[in-house]
Amino acid sequence: MTLHQTLIYLLIAHLQFQSISTSDEDTFSEELLLKPLFSEQLYAHFQFATHWNIEPKNENYQHSHLFPRAVGEIVGRYNVQELHISLTGGLWRYETWGYPVIDAAPGAEVWAWFKPSTTNVDKNWKLLANSLSGLLCASFNFVDISNTVSPDFSFRPRGVVDWSNNLNNTFLRYATLPREIVCTENLTPLKKLLPCGSKAGIASLLNSGHIHNTKYHSTGLHLRHVCSSESCDSVALELQLSVSLVYDYAILGTRNWSFKKLFGHGLNGKCPLATKSNIYVDLSSSKTLNNFELSPEPDQIITSIRGGQVSDYALFNIPSKFLNVGVKYPEDFTLTVNIPPPIHANQYLTGYGQERGGIVTEIYNNHWSSLEIVILQNIAWYVPVYLHTLTITSGGQKLEPKILKYSPGKQREKPYYIEIALKLPARSITTVSIDFDYVFLKWQEYPPDANHGFYIGSAVVSAYLPLAKNYTGLPQDSATIFGSFNASRSGYLVQIRTENMVITLPTPDFSMPYNVICLACTVVALAFGPLHNITTKRLTPKKKNEEKLMQKVKKKLVNFLKKKTKTE
Amino acid sequence: MLSNKELYIFLSTSLVFTSIYAINLEHSFIEKARNGHTNNWAVLVDTSRFWFNYRHVANVLSIYRSVKRLGIPDSQIILMIADDMACNPRNPRPATVFNNANQHINVYGDDVEVDYRGYEVTVENFVRLLTGRLPPGTPRSKQLLTDEGSNVLIYLTGHGGDGFLKFQDSEEITSQEMADALEQMWQKQRYHEVFFMIDTCQAASMYERFYSPNILSVGSSMVGEDSLSHHVDPAIGVYIIDRYTYYALEFLEDVSPESNRSMGEFLKVCPKSACISTVGVRKDLFLRDPDEVPITDFFGSVRPVKLVETVPTLEHFVNVSQIPLRVIKTESKPKKYHYVPPLPIFSKV
Repeated sequence: MTLHQTLIYLLIAHLQFQSISTSDEDTFSEELLLKPLFSEQLYAHFQFATHWNIEPKNENYQHSHLFPRAVGEIVGRYNVQELHISLTGGLWRYETWGYPVIDAAPGAEVWAWFKPSTTNVDKNWKLLANSLSGLLCASFNFVDISNTVSPDFSFRPRGVVDWSNNLNNTFLRYATLPREIVCTENLTPLKKLLPCGSKAGIASLLNSGHIHNTKYHSTGLHLRHVCSSESCDSVALELQLSVSLVYDYAILGTRNWSFKKLFGHGLNGKCPLATKSNIYVDLSSSKTLNNFELSPEPDQIITSIRGGQVSDYALFNIPSKFLNVGVKYPEDFTLTVNIPPPIHANQYLTGYGQERGGIVTEIYNNHWSSLEIVILQNIAWYVPVYLHTLTITSGGQKLEPKILKYSPGKQREKPYYIEIALKLPARSITTVSIDFDYVFLKWQEYPPDANHGFYIGSAVVSAYLPLAKNYTGLPQDSATIFGSFNASRSGYLVQIRTENMVITLPTPDFSMPYNVICLACTVVALAFGPLHNITTKRLTPKKKNEEKLMQKVKKKLVNFLKKKTKTE
Repeated sequence: MLSNKELYIFLSTSLVFTSIYAINLEHSFIEKARNGHTNNWAVLVDTSRFWFNYRHVANVLSIYRSVKRLGIPDSQIILMIADDMACNPRNPRPATVFNNANQHINVYGDDVEVDYRGYEVTVENFVRLLTGRLPPGTPRSKQLLTDEGSNVLIYLTGHGGDGFLKFQDSEEITSQEMADALEQMWQKQRYHEVFFMIDTCQAASMYERFYSPNILSVGSSMVGEDSLSHHVDPAIGVYIIDRYTYYALEFLEDVSPESNRSMGEFLKVCPKSACISTVGVRKDLFLRDPDEVPITDFFGSVRPVKLVETVPTLEHFVNVSQIPLRVIKTESKPKKYHYVPPLPIFSKV
């Protein structure tokens, strides 16, 4: 069989097989949520969800229909149970903007659960990171055991599992790359994972020039297992791809936004493969003051009552003709007072000089009752922290952590891992601080732009909120924004990411003049000693004693005897 | 990490083998040269970090745009960019890189795929990429999967000197290392022909040491000369493209996948009056006459198509059901799946 015959055979075999294995139950949905934020921003969240009912017998993940095969292969190859990736530029401002649909840390963040049958989790994790770097054009290949932790509480599986209640976090890996830059090359591969690509449907609105002109942009890939039936005795794979954008009216030049202004053009029909193609506009801010005019008229108004929050959404089913949703605000705009959400957090550095410093995390509880939270810190090995300096205070009072998990870092091998479970008093500001030392690195460990500084990733503050105020997150059992309407639950998970921090480690001067000076000084110092000796000291030959040992002894003996005779 | 020392040892041992195998390879090679190449690859490298080196990123993206337009797919282009200019906070128009003050062409485009970026652009990664000695687990998009029928375009830009090219302002590749890497590629039958293009100061010094066959080289300046930039964009505030690449791009913009322009014409691009530096060319390692080589041999892409006379039927092949599947044993007991609460309840822990 020649090579090209083989190729044709493979092609035909593939096509045939695909038609066999394609199940009609694969579904794809595309949604766009637009929400005016307090007070000068607009939040646009694209949510794409693919649901794939895989046959349990055929777990090689190679024959997919709407599901991207590249992702399926990764799942099959590295024995992945769950995978969550986010690539973010900018910082989500919780205090004013409320909670996003999906939380994401600035830079790159990745966490994965491996199946319990995995033999070498660290190896699979490294290979998975490498594959992701190829899949998403990001530097995930810098993820390794030296910046990875396995948190006990913060990152539990989001999907369904068949494990017993005690989760074994040795199968969990979490890492962040706070320095990672997010640009068009990360968005391109993400768009290619969608069934319609960026050719049709809501994804055609994703034009890089208009996306990276925003205050905050985040792309996410979230893969998990979900129930494929009511009884939940079989599972399906679910992939959520998301793009979150926060537009600033100052950059847009106007408050009256429209698709054309936001994305460069309007929408030409939906993705024909999607079972759900919806656009929602949050009308809550329009209800009281600043009543904006929406054009065209929405197909439906949905009222969602969720966790004590009533919100109205305008729903557009995407027609096959051109659609350009836009709003018009009244001329006289009234500014309102910001009501911050129940919990938000900040992080900053303390100290001065290049010897000692501190990391401080401030958590604000605006709720009327106490709240339980978990703080996770993944601190790089080049920032050695001291556990004995960990202090938690709230309103001048010392607060005892309910649980404290700590694992010390090891230079070049392991990061510092701290996870604290706390009960925040009602209406309080809690400060968690810890001190660290600045360290010297080996000269080859400094990056080419060492003077830019070194990054400390964001802390993750997780809480289970009793009410859904300013909350847009999805419930655990749903992957669509539609599923979050009227979805009242016992609690609402938020995972607040704080700011990244940059520290300047003591950096040697790598410049050429400095090195020339150092070298010249060394040469001079080495030359000076001998030259000084030669010119200032006189060399005189030392008289050598050539007597033999026996003669010496004899001489001493004779002298001794002479003395004795004298005294006698 | 492979230390430089080890690399040197490896390279020098491979030199010994050259002389032994050269005779055999040369004969089989001439046969292949007549047959022509079967696929095209491009390795495009920007080695400069920092905003004021914007022009080097614009250089490399200009060539990227051209080869992509002329038909080399993204899967066969290895693009290395040492710093992010498009989404740099100093860029007044995010997600764009322009190579012209008129801002006609956004060379960054809407579907760019950068394979090596930021700190990944190192001498080690570059040499490993060329020689194919990458660590296990390297994704396909970061590998140069060439064979003996590949025509490879290598384009380098950055800050160079006599016999070296700086990477990221912290390390450099010497012309000898470059020549040895190409020799190793040749011995491993990783190319059919190479077109080596370099836009740096003293560019000609980089290809002087080459000793492997079938390499056509062009550099933007001779030894002792500086390569100069073309013009400033006042909106961006820095020089936005180098002279040689500017004129090369101007030439390439007129080339279409069907055009008959030759490499000979391309080598005459940017005369001294336009470039200020002298464009250096090295043809002695290249067997063919550049005037007879179509430019699409390096900048375009061959997609081999073979016609078959009979329609193959499935009977000739193995039954589809015989394809081995990785079947996971299913347990007889039905499993029960459930959601785990996202946070534990601490009063119970």
